[in-house]
Amino acid sequence: MTPLAMMLTLSSVLFALGLLAVLTRRNAILVLVGIELMLNAANLNFIAFWAFDSPGAHNAAEPVLSGPMFVMFSIAIAAAEAAVGLAIILMVFRHTRSTDLNKLDSLHG
Amino acid sequence: MIPLLILSPLILLAAIGAVWMARPVHAALMLALTLALVAVLYLALGAEFIGLVQFAVYVGAVAVLIVFSLLITRPGDEAEEIERRPRSLVTGLLCTLPVMAVLAYTAASGSNIKLIPWQPKLSIAELGEVLFTSHAPAVLALAVLLTAVLIGAALFAREPDKTQDDSSEK
Repeated sequence: MTPLAMMLTLSSVLFALGLLAVLTRRNAILVLVGIELMLNAANLNFIAFWAFDSPGAHNAAEPVLSGPMFVMFSIAIAAAEAAVGLAIILMVFRHTRSTDLNKLDSLHG
Repeated sequence: MIPLLILSPLILLAAIGAVWMARPVHAALMLALTLALVAVLYLALGAEFIGLVQFAVYVGAVAVLIVFSLLITRPGDEAEEIERRPRSLVTGLLCTLPVMAVLAYTAASGSNIKLIPWQPKLSIAELGEVLFTSHAPAVLALAVLLTAVLIGAALFAREPDKTQDDSSEK
């Protein structure tokens, strides 16, 4: 198994674990934990393709930075997403005194 | 290759802990461990700057934010979670395993093309130059997004004003 295949397999299993957390957890904050795991799996793919790409495919004079660049923006957006997600969860908690997703079945604030 | 062989099982074990731990705070701490190990993997692959950003933003901010939210909301006891677990696990695995099978099969079979590991170096000077020349519009858009998030999160977190509530209920 090549290193690239190993990294991609690792990232697909990590993504599946995140999906499992999103599907099975009932606490809204732990669903967010699953989403973070899935985002990380995607980032891992970018770094994998950057680290194990063939040098001949690119112009040697130019630095190849698309992978790390994408990961940097993705990390910034993930942080923003976590901040807004947790703020929403805390607001819901203030209304209903619970973060259990099974109990949050009414749109009436 | 060797750091990958050592770190992959550790990352997967920590991620399984994050998914499986019944006590929410333990799950959040396992998530922090997973993110830290992924950062170490980035460092080992030569993406030092990304590894450090991952440490600072994910482990330092996001994971701590999650732990603090858990402390604020004080989720209920985990006995109910453990009791409900076998059923939800079967359903969850039924939905997750096909996704994982397809992804892992594609990952393992599609990447047989001979790629040369070329040990790329991520120079921070180059990264900074690209970031503020060709990627400057994206950086600006991100700055606007982060400002909006800051304002939005502060607005959400604010204690609701009783007098304003009355006037807005017309």
